[in-house]
Amino acid sequence: MEAHAAALPRRRQSAGTRAWKWLKEHAVVIYGALAIAYMLIPIALIIAFSFNDPAGKFNFTWQGFTLSHWAHPFVISELTDALLLSLRLAALATLISTVLGTMIALALVRYDFFGRRASNYLIVIPTATPEVVLGASLLSMFLIYGLSLGFTTLLIAHVMFCISFVVIVVRSRLIGFDRSLEEAAQDLGADPITTFRKITLPLIWPGVIAGALLAFALSIDDFVVSNFTAGTTVTFPLYIFGAAQRGIPVQVYIIATMLFATTVLAMIFTVWQQRRADRLASVRPEQEV
Amino acid sequence: MTSKRRFRGLIVAGGTLAAAIVLAACGGSGGIENSSSGPANVQTAKYTPPPSGDLTISNWPLYIDKNTVSNFDKATGVNTTYIEDVNDNQEFFAKMQPLLAKGQSGGRSMFVVTDWMAKKMYDFGYLQKIDKAGIPNVTANLRDNLKHPSFDPNRDFSVPWQSGMTGLIVNSKLAPNVHSINDLFDPQYKGKVEMLTELRDTVPLVMKADGIDPNTATQQDWLDTIDKLKQAVASGQIRRFTGNDYTRDMANGDVSAIIGWSGDAVQLQADNPDIQFRMPTQGCILWSDNMVLPVGAPNTTAAEAFMNYVYDPHNQAPIASYNSYVTPVDGVREIFQKTNPDLVNDPLIFPTADYTKNCSTQPNLSGQEEQTVTRAFEGVLNS
Amino acid sequence: MRNQRIVALRRRLIPYFLLGPGILWLILFFVVPMYYMGRLSLDTGVFPSFQFNWQFSNYSDVLSAYDTQFIRAFEYSAAATVIGLLIAYPLAYAIAFRGGRWKNAMLLAVIAPFFTTYLIRTLAWETILSDNGFVVHTMQSLGLISGDGRVLATSGAVIAGLTYNFLPFMILPIYASLERLDRSLIEAAKDLYSSSRQAFLRVTLPLSMPGLVAGTLLTFIPATGDYINAQFLGGAQQSMIGNVIQSLYLKQTDYPAAAALSFTLMAAMLAIVFIYIRFAGSEALMGEEVEST
Repeated sequence: MEAHAAALPRRRQSAGTRAWKWLKEHAVVIYGALAIAYMLIPIALIIAFSFNDPAGKFNFTWQGFTLSHWAHPFVISELTDALLLSLRLAALATLISTVLGTMIALALVRYDFFGRRASNYLIVIPTATPEVVLGASLLSMFLIYGLSLGFTTLLIAHVMFCISFVVIVVRSRLIGFDRSLEEAAQDLGADPITTFRKITLPLIWPGVIAGALLAFALSIDDFVVSNFTAGTTVTFPLYIFGAAQRGIPVQVYIIATMLFATTVLAMIFTVWQQRRADRLASVRPEQEV
Repeated sequence: MTSKRRFRGLIVAGGTLAAAIVLAACGGSGGIENSSSGPANVQTAKYTPPPSGDLTISNWPLYIDKNTVSNFDKATGVNTTYIEDVNDNQEFFAKMQPLLAKGQSGGRSMFVVTDWMAKKMYDFGYLQKIDKAGIPNVTANLRDNLKHPSFDPNRDFSVPWQSGMTGLIVNSKLAPNVHSINDLFDPQYKGKVEMLTELRDTVPLVMKADGIDPNTATQQDWLDTIDKLKQAVASGQIRRFTGNDYTRDMANGDVSAIIGWSGDAVQLQADNPDIQFRMPTQGCILWSDNMVLPVGAPNTTAAEAFMNYVYDPHNQAPIASYNSYVTPVDGVREIFQKTNPDLVNDPLIFPTADYTKNCSTQPNLSGQEEQTVTRAFEGVLNS
Repeated sequence: MRNQRIVALRRRLIPYFLLGPGILWLILFFVVPMYYMGRLSLDTGVFPSFQFNWQFSNYSDVLSAYDTQFIRAFEYSAAATVIGLLIAYPLAYAIAFRGGRWKNAMLLAVIAPFFTTYLIRTLAWETILSDNGFVVHTMQSLGLISGDGRVLATSGAVIAGLTYNFLPFMILPIYASLERLDRSLIEAAKDLYSSSRQAFLRVTLPLSMPGLVAGTLLTFIPATGDYINAQFLGGAQQSMIGNVIQSLYLKQTDYPAAAALSFTLMAAMLAIVFIYIRFAGSEALMGEEVEST
């Protein structure tokens, strides 16, 4: 009878404490899952609204499901023009900033030279400057010089803020890089340029691509700096800003969803490539025997 | 080692500074500093028919129906690009000014700005006079009360695109008793009221509600009214100031009574029948948006052909029925009697003299007064 | 002999060739414009003709007129940074230590939302937080806000928007720092200390400090100058200093005042960055330990 009385409350207690213990152990993961869900909420709305079927001119409320707009995502010529301009701008800005940024990263990681510290600061400070200041200072310079604002000034601005991010990404890739492969190549008689072309570049390529991807995303998405330096030229975010006042057409949501899907796929591809490169060369020094 | 480094660092810094100063010395001419202003020689555009080639027009959004541009192209052989990038008079001016100051228009042959901005641009020498030979329809069909406005008595440089009224837009279910601008300050609507960022719409309306005539108001009147608005913001009465985006808040039901533009009310009503335009008891503000020819405009002939085209009542009718603003063209009403009989007596498109008896035109501000008043008002917008 | 010297000289010059073009671009289009902004801030005159005049009174005028917006920008930004930290740290921890095979997928899930346009994300929040929307109704029924309360056009909405939009800048450096931690140290700490909480507080947290501070900086500084969140999610009383700068430059064309305000903001932010670099070194700004070459 005693044993029976003692057993009953213990079983009840352990169920409760078991649940509590499980919760505590997995608290971090649950919290993480909730956080990720929170971050995806606006994305869900954007994708949902791309299927909206607004009756009137304004596209503010959900009115009905339709696939018809997906069939014609590019009917609004101003929007399509703005998108094409943004894509062109981003492509050029990515190209220039990736080349310049990779060169800077190579110099910073591999050589010690006079001015290295100052260069380090110069690279990092733009990333920590408010965009409004970047845009305002460029506009100030263009105003004083009486330069016409347009694609060129946009390109200048975009390359400027992309370089730093490319440097940071490529640099972190270069730091764990194993030099022994390069040394082996040079022992075999390759000159520096061939070594770079055949050994170094392929191995840092995933990092360069990651940097380029980041630069592309930053450029396509940029609003504040573009607002100050575009003049009368309209980029995709600038079009959205103007359209926001009177109801964003469904096509904008569709294009945003398409851009989102494309970048996600590109990222997955990059990570897959990186895994491949990791297997080709030991990247983590601490894994060496 | 560190002191040597610091020394080197100083040299680098000094060198950079010196280089910057050298760069600065070759400052720009034609830039924002030391530039001249004022209309040196205002040109008149030359109309050389027949119209042809490319035409680029900048207008406000949602201001034209779907077919007019393509019909114009078919009728004349012109290739028109119609862009809707005028969202705010001041912002458009700020964007265009560096180009206009150099005599360029950024490829635009014509754009549409409100009365006061047209006058401001003309005073700076940024507009051309229109060749009347190209716009006989305008001369014939422009409504009488728009023929001689104070800012352009002979219609030398402006041709009205549409006119409009700034007044109350109200959700009759949520705010049935709002009939005067002063009702917007009633605490029962706290946080459900919005007003326009357009200085020359909001402040004059509030002035009228307090018995001040905006066209004879003193600078102190302006500043006192702006102060009244500042207090309304501080108390939370006014939710925010908007441009065209009040339409979103009205459609969502986030606000119940606002200062807005007459044509928008009709478009909002299509989605929600409770929303309506109400003429304030002390009257509205009347304004026009005008087609103007900038300096450096390519193909002014085609631009004038477009102006002429939309002043034919048959071509104006679909524009008027689309945007529900006050049409500046005579003869549209007769056409509506056959095509849109329900619009014949629409006070928003054809306001009677009685309907607008208490209304004022947008007041004029310039020089130091404009700068002072604008700064004070913008201070309220960014409280 | 001469060949050797040429080779040695070439080797010394290589870093400058590599560095040159990019650094030149940054100097021309980042550093030099600051000078011009400073110069514009000392102009007098009426639009459109300004003259350089050492007009330091522009600064006192503008700072006394807009001190509220400046302070408000700092307040919102600080709040967003703190809340962002509270969200980001556990999330980064979960990914780094409990991620396992799903690490990359989770990182992707965290970063991918930020590949939609900044403006659209913020507008999506404006729709989600609308007065008659699901979120507000739920909050009203839970009693979190009053019966006729709203979320939009309040400070809360702006801070929420800032927090959300700058979350990846907080998460990634913290994650990078945690990821780099030597797990054996944590094992040792767990053996030495009585609870895992202690191990965390005494070992994990201090070691992840570089990432934490980098994330804080990369959130706080850009957020202070932001104006999109205030414009879409805020009302008349939520204007930040970025809104004022934008209005002065792009609407009122009052360039000297605009430049003075912008220059002050930049100086304040630079001061914070330099204090940070003094303590932590410039490499730490990228969330890494100081590496040896």
